[in-house]
Amino acid sequence: MTHLLDIRDLHLAFKGLSGLTEVLHGIDLSIAAGERVALVGESGSGKSVTARIVLGLLQEMRNARVTGRVAFDGADVMTMAQKDRAALRGTEMSMIFQDPTSSLNPTFTIGNQFAEVMRRRDPKLDQAACDARATEMLTEVSIPDPGRVLANYPFQLSGGMNQRVMIAMALVNNPKLLLADEPGTALDVSVQAQTLRLMHDLVEKHHTAVLFISHNLGVVREFADRVYVIYRGRIVETGPTDAIFHSPGHAYTRALMDAVPRITGAGLPAVPEVSDDFLAPMVRHDGGAS
Amino acid sequence: MSSVFRILLRRLAISVIVLIGVSMLIFAIARIIPGDPARIALGPNANADQIASLRTEMHLDEPIIAQYGYFVADVMRGNLGQSLYTNRPVTVDIAEFLPATLELVIFAGILMVGLGLPLGILAARHRGRWPDHLVRVGTLLTVSAPSFVWAVILMLLFAFYLPLFPVAGRLTDSYEIARVTGFLTVDTLLAGNFSAFVDALHHLVLPSIALALSGIGQAARLTRANMIETYDKPYIEMAQAFGFYPTRIARRYAFKPSLIPSLTIIGLDFAAMLGNAFLVEAVFAWPGLSRYGVAVILRKDLNAIMGTVLVIALTFLVVNILVDLLIAFLNPRIRHSTRASS
Repeated sequence: MTHLLDIRDLHLAFKGLSGLTEVLHGIDLSIAAGERVALVGESGSGKSVTARIVLGLLQEMRNARVTGRVAFDGADVMTMAQKDRAALRGTEMSMIFQDPTSSLNPTFTIGNQFAEVMRRRDPKLDQAACDARATEMLTEVSIPDPGRVLANYPFQLSGGMNQRVMIAMALVNNPKLLLADEPGTALDVSVQAQTLRLMHDLVEKHHTAVLFISHNLGVVREFADRVYVIYRGRIVETGPTDAIFHSPGHAYTRALMDAVPRITGAGLPAVPEVSDDFLAPMVRHDGGAS
Repeated sequence: MSSVFRILLRRLAISVIVLIGVSMLIFAIARIIPGDPARIALGPNANADQIASLRTEMHLDEPIIAQYGYFVADVMRGNLGQSLYTNRPVTVDIAEFLPATLELVIFAGILMVGLGLPLGILAARHRGRWPDHLVRVGTLLTVSAPSFVWAVILMLLFAFYLPLFPVAGRLTDSYEIARVTGFLTVDTLLAGNFSAFVDALHHLVLPSIALALSGIGQAARLTRANMIETYDKPYIEMAQAFGFYPTRIARRYAFKPSLIPSLTIIGLDFAAMLGNAFLVEAVFAWPGLSRYGVAVILRKDLNAIMGTVLVIALTFLVVNILVDLLIAFLNPRIRHSTRASS
């Protein structure tokens, strides 16, 4: 089966004063068209940098060394020219971020920012066409009174509204791949749940593939078809969501699951910082697309 | 836009209060300085009767509060009194000397914004690489010497050792230009005399660079610092994730938010140029307000001192109001917060 995104043996190292520090030690990950895949791990495990490599942002950093193969839609993101990588961003793939309010520029209106994003795809679009399409998109993410929202600045809207705006903006150009980096972690839990459900429905409708990055297994279970668990720059377990949740094979996955707070539980479980079990070989659950 | 209008009204009201305060302060100070203005004006050969009659004519015998009352009444009628130094109305004197100073300050301001901001953007975009280092060292040099020192250095280098520019004055004497606005760059064009226009610009180069240098450095360093801070904001990463070109991100997404905090300081720097202009004018024998101001202070010409200080204070306030309006225009947060609070 062909993959929309296919990552093979991805290594990342940062050049520092004390030489190279390797952050990713050979990641293999693939996403089929229209598939929702989650990459789960604690902070510092390498999930966000993986998304930024897919976008081609880290390749442009002077102190980053990236090796491996990242194929997107048949083309190798690693070897293509910087200009071609930039051309993919915002059109074929887009990204939504953790904190919606600070991810939107405070000095431009929502309508203005929408238009800029749409002109990435079609530079000749006039303001009226942009506004019409943006209104349509905002209605899709259940924003009441889209006309007013388009004239507003991000600081005039609530965090939940901005989150929806960002989802709409990321999907307005009909990208093939959406990278969601801990979306809505800055929001409260109920608003986060609402917007995630909305995002779930939208990507299903538009057949958009998603790489969903999170530290929260509870959220992932609701959202993803398939899960990769990442620990210290290595994939430690992968498989269909149900399989991983029913029979977590790797010690780290089990620890991560225990770390999801429950109302009925007895306080926070003690997850060890490092454990020899966490370094056990990768567990692969078969089934699903991979 | 009505909220910007509201900001304007509030700032105007504050400005009137500031002007009243400045006038009281200067009025008192000018009269506390030792020396009898009437005696100085009439010269050493005047007799006691003549001096006494001039003192009465100037209301100098009356209490200082009453004198201030006469002054305010005159100002309300647009009359700043008679200068004892030039024997002309102070308003006429100021109208003659102020345009030269304003022309110098405005050109220096254009240089400050036109060079300082792009240099700051350049340094921030290439942070840690050679353009950044060059800008940082260069601007440190320009901000660390006051403008009159730069005036002397520039004059020595580019007018004396390398005679590229004129040493002093505003225009070569051979040109006869009809005075309309008092701004020579404008008047020469109005007269249709292009070579005189070039000559006026030629005279402006060194003084306005000397005046602008520290401002250019200040503006560049400020813009660089604010831009670098903005580059760390999530919305810049978002712009990168949406594939916008680095130049577009720098000029649009990063520049606008970082201009807002820089602008207040740049505005203050611009207004401070008025003060520095006095020193630069002295070095380049520029026939501006400084020459007049220093002469009237030495002669204790009360009306002329008051007039000069008031005009400078007024210019300061106008610049500040303009900067505030510009910030309100650029920063939607200010525009919308005033609407909510008033």
